Formats: sequence, C-alpha cells, structure tokens
Amino acid sequence: MGPLGAAPRPPAATWDLAGRVVANGPVSQGLRVLDVELPRAIDFLPGQFAMLNLTGPARLVFRRPFSILATAGRTISFLYRAIGRGTSLMAGLAPGAAVECLAPLGQPFPAPAAATPPVLILAGGVGLPPLYAWFARYRRPADLACFGGRDLDDVPWDLVPPPWQVSVDRLDGAAARSVFHGLVTELALACVGEPGDATPRLVLACGPTPLLRAAARLARERGWPCRVSLEEHMGCGYGVCKGCVVPVRDPGPPGWRHATSCTEGPVFDAALIDWDRFGHAAAGGPA
Amino acid sequence: MNRPGWWRLDPCAPFALGPRTLPGRIWTASGCFGYGLHGHDIAAPDLATPYEGIGAVVTKTVTPQPRPGNPMPRLVELPFGAINSIGLENVGFAAFLRDVLPELEARGVPNVVSLAATRPAEFGTMAARLYEVGRGLRHWHGVELNLSCPNVAEGGHDFGSDPATVAACVAAARPHLPDRILVAKLTPNVAQIAPLAAAAAQAGCDAVAAINTVVGLDVDTASGRPVLPRRFGGYSGLAIQPIALAKVDEIVREVGVPVVGVGGIVDARDALKFFALGCVAVQVGTAQMRDPFAAARLAAELRR
Ligand SMILES: Cc1cc2nc3c(=O)[nH]c(=O)nc-3n(C[C@H](O)[C@H](O)[C@H](O)COP(=O)(O)OP(=O)(O)OC[C@H]3O[C@@H](n4cnc5c(N)ncnc54)[C@H](O)[C@@H]3O)c2cc1C
Ligand SMILES: Cc1cc2nc3c(=O)[nH]c(=O)nc-3n(C[C@H](O)[C@H](O)[C@H](O)COP(=O)(O)O)c2cc1C
Ligand code: FES
Repeated sequence: MGPLGAAPRPPAATWDLAGRVVANGPVSQGLRVLDVELPRAIDFLPGQFAMLNLTGPARLVFRRPFSILATAGRTISFLYRAIGRGTSLMAGLAPGAAVECLAPLGQPFPAPAAATPPVLILAGGVGLPPLYAWFARYRRPADLACFGGRDLDDVPWDLVPPPWQVSVDRLDGAAARSVFHGLVTELALACVGEPGDATPRLVLACGPTPLLRAAARLARERGWPCRVSLEEHMGCGYGVCKGCVVPVRDPGPPGWRHATSCTEGPVFDAALIDWDRFGHAAAGGPA
Repeated sequence: MNRPGWWRLDPCAPFALGPRTLPGRIWTASGCFGYGLHGHDIAAPDLATPYEGIGAVVTKTVTPQPRPGNPMPRLVELPFGAINSIGLENVGFAAFLRDVLPELEARGVPNVVSLAATRPAEFGTMAARLYEVGRGLRHWHGVELNLSCPNVAEGGHDFGSDPATVAACVAAARPHLPDRILVAKLTPNVAQIAPLAAAAAQAGCDAVAAINTVVGLDVDTASGRPVLPRRFGGYSGLAIQPIALAKVDEIVREVGVPVVGVGGIVDARDALKFFALGCVAVQVGTAQMRDPFAAARLAAELRR
C-alpha cells in the first residue's frame, strides 16, 4: 500500500442488469438525479461508473457512461445534465421505465490510508458524483471539498451541504450560505493558502477539462499528488473497442502511449497524463 | 422470438469448417470484443458469462508491430450505427503471442486470430509463426485475414479491393495452417464482391467473412468539418445490415464458398436472415460493444 492509500484494485465483478427507474428529477436548474432499482445490489468504489441505456425504440447504439453517485440497497443513483440525445431521452424517463445498467466499471479514486495526506477535492458540475461518493464514504476531519457550479441555480445544494465549499462562475443573486464568486480552482487556492505554508494534500478532481488541467497544474506546482477522473468519450465502457483512449506518459519509446480510459481509468494519476497531447489530435499510423 | 419452421440448426453445436471443428456458429466480430479477455469479470442474471454458447471470438486485428491507433475521437454514433476510426490499435504480434494467446487458451476461450499486414508475404510469415506457437492449443481455431488495410507493397491501395492481392494473401498463409481454418474477411467497398470471394476460395481459404465496415463520413455542422480527424471511418451496426446481406447473397450465389456473415447483426432475427441466405456462421460486432452478452443471448435464443 502506497502513501496515497490502497492501490486501485480491479473492479468488483461487473453486472449487466435490467433496472427500473424509481425517481428522476431535478436537483438544480441544470442537474438531475436518476434513481434506478436493480434486481440485485452492487458494490462500487467511489470513482467507478456505469454504462446506461434505454430500451425499446429509444435504445441507443452505445450505452452512456455515468459515474455512480450512490447506492442504497438495490437502488443506484446518478447525477446528470441533459446535454445531448441520450441524456435528453434519459431526462424524459418516468418511474417504472426500463434502464440497462452495466456496473460497476473502471478504476476508483484511492481510498485513504493512514499515511494519506488530507485531500483537496475539486468537483465541477456533473463531475460531482465520484467525489460526492468519495467524501460521503471516506471523509476525514482535515479533508477539504470544493464544488463549482455555473451559477446559484445550478448548484445541487442538498448534495453539497457544509463542509462542502461552493463556488459559482456567475454570482447573480443572494445565496443562503457563503459562496465563493469565481472558479473552483480559485476557491481551492483560497482554502489551502500560499505555496510553502500549506500542508501537503492529495488533490482529487473531476469536471470539465479546463478544471482538470488547472487541478493538475496546482498539484504539480506544489509537488502534491493528484488524481483526476477523465470523462473521455466511450463506446463499450468495458475495454473491448479502444474508443476511449487517453495519451499517458510511458517509459518506453516514443515516450507516451494510449491508455484505455474505461479500464485503466477513468481515474488517472494526473502526473501520468500527457496533457500536451490530451484533447488534441495525437499521432497515429495510417488507418 | 418464435423460431421459424425452416430453422433447424443448433448454433451452439460443433460444426466442421475446412480442416477443423468449431464449437459453434455464433462468433464475435474482430475489434468489437477486444482480444476476448474482457468478459470474464462480467455476469448477468440470465447468463453466467458472456462466452456462453459462443463459437469463437475473432480477436482484435493484430499487426506485425504494435500500433498506437488514431487520435480521438474515434467513434461517431449515428441513429442506427456508428463510424469508427480506431486505427488498428493493438499490442503487436510478439506481445499477442506472448501474453494474449496463452491466456485465451488458459481461459478456454475459443478463438480465431485476426491478422493484418502491409505486404502479402507478411501474412505467410505471421501465419507460420502463429502455428509454431499455437499448434498445441485446443482453443485456437485459426486465422481471419483482415484485408481492409493499405498494401504498402502496392503503393498503399487497399489489399482487399483487388482479387489478385486477396489471392496472394490467402495463398501466403494457407500452407502454414494445415489443421486450422483460414478465413478471408472481405471489404464491401467494391462494386462486386464475388470476384474477391472467388479469388480467396481459389487460393485455398476455408471461408470468407463478409462484410467489414462500409466507408463513411460524418460532418459536425457547428464547425463544418468532418467529425473524425481522419475524415473517413468504417460504418457499422444495424444500418449496414442490408448491404451485408446483399454482399453475402452475391457471394453465396455466385461463388459458393462458405460464408461467415457479419454486418448489423443485433439480435436473433438479424442472425436468422444471414443463415437463411446460407451463411455457415455469423459474427456480432457493434452490438457486442453495447452489450457484452449480445452474442451469448443471441445464441441462446436460436438454440433449439
Ligand atoms: C467515466 C465517465 C463518467 C461520466 N459521468 C457522468 C456523470 O456522472 N454525469 C453526467 O451528466 N455525465 C457524465 N459523463 C458524461 C456523459 O457520459 C455524457 O454527457 C453523455 O454520454 C452524453 O450523451 P448524450 O447522448 O446526451 O450526448 P451526445 O448527443 O452523444 O453528445 C452531446 C455532446 O456531448 C459530448 N459527449 C458525448 N459523450 C461524451 C462523454 N462521454 N464525455 C463528454 N462529452 C461527451 C458530445 O461530443 C457532444 O458535444 C461521464 C462520462 C464518462 C466517460
Ligand atoms: C470499433 C470497431 C473496431 C473494429 N475493428 C476491426 C478490426 O480490428 N479488424 C476487423 O477485421 N474488423 C474490425 N471491425 C469491423 C467489424 O469486425 C465488423 O466487420 C463490422 O463492424 C460490421 O459488423 P457489425 O455491424 O456487427 O459491427 C471493427 C468494427 C468496430 C465497430
Ligand atoms: S470504451 Fe471501449 S475500450 Fe473503452
């Protein structure tokens, strides 16, 4: 066991289950929670995800990946934003509707061990679920959690009660509790203080790519370890299609390789990601 | 699904193909179920493993050297299919022989190894080496030649679109596989597929697999640019099923070589269409990516 906690262990047995929607509604202006009842309870570790699909004529060609927010008995919950075809169809699911669920998948965030420094959590928007799950399961007194939303209406207040700290990009009214106006990384910096006088931290981040880059930079500048959950596009979610790759540094030539995000990730050591290649057209041979 | 009266095969019963007996007629298609090693951790209430009833996993295509594959994004989802541009990302032949093939044997996964090369003669070298390593393996059943790649020796034209080159590739591999099947996987991106199938048959393949993906392109209307960095990709899934059926029919009626049907097979009814045209086996591709149990459920449904 390293100082960051238990090494990511291979995912618990994954189940392909036919679930039923028990609840599906807004928790803020832009975010919704979907609760699905499965035929059996599944174990998951914070950071693991599920591949979901609709059934019947609305069934999508590929399932969609969603981080697991929580489980309770046979119910599994997701936090999502309707941004496209699949998530919009998802938003229309009424209680009783059928949902296909392949879960749990992927590598989790590390569980804390005695030697793990206090964590600094940065969650942006729909990047909240894996870190909500981490904080709910492992939280220690010195751990810090920051959530960033677009504006006050976008924040799912019930999911980020104190001691969660909240930032909003646009402050357009009065909040019921103290809220930081600015980026979640700026909030995090305000929380941990100046470089040098701050206690070392393990940074855990999930959210839009600019947030992940900023979190990785923050950690790198201070020499802190950092884990990020990447929301790379996926086809299968279980390792068979190579439709989800991420460039990572590699000791052998040419110095980098493609990691399979759905099985080697979605949680990666930020220092391993080749950020210069990430999100850009990387090199490849003829098709 | 009600099985029609004409349907008499047990798709999960062993059947003879060329020099070998295969465990069943429902296979997974190359590139859509990895190397066949990712299903062991997955369970479902109705089936213990995704391998139940599967006759063969056709591995992801393996090339002489490892390949990093193409830049992201690599997949475009469309209403009834997908365009992919994976770029043959694979571990390379040496690592495949060392790490993957023994694992497939140890886990008892029936498999057919998909190979691609840049020169026809290279197919011979690879087949010979594969046989040297694999001749004692029970679960390795043979080779599928992925002929839809650029032929370096011929100035980068597709291997697959020229009957003489198809014949050269098959002829190069054949002598090295005395008791294993040799399947030539054909491209649909030609006006007539029968001449390709005939060339492969004459050169000694045991079956042809039809079809590989259909050349396709999608445009991002917001940017006005193709979605895939390399513009073109391979179209697959339900949408290409009629194309696959037409190509299969052309081969069956004009050539008579055994055909392994592939293209847009999602459920048991889809597979029945290919069997009705005379296919000896079928492969499930894109549907297997969505559903690890797609092929296994399809096999269970068609079982008498
Ligand atoms: C491991 C993982 C965990 C995720 N967890 C969550 C979560 O908890 N909640 C949540 O709301 N979303 C999550 N996502 C993102 C979610 O999967 C996408 O929002 C969803 O697939 C979009 O589907 P769609 O059909 O609505 O969009 P589409 O119509 O397919 O696409 C709409 C837009 O979304 C983009 N897009 C498509 N797929 C993805 C993707 N996988 N990641 C990022 N952008 C994408 C497209 O490029 C397009 O711009 C996660 C993604 C991954 C890989
Ligand atoms: C993501 C993806 C990767 C593929 N990779 C390969 C490959 O490596 N070699 C090959 O011969 N065919 C490959 N194919 C083609 C399939 O094996 C199959 O011929 C094609 O997808 C049509 O079948 P389908 O409609 O059932 O998917 C790939 C297809 C997809 C969707
Ligand atoms: S999504 Fe298919 S390999 Fe990761």
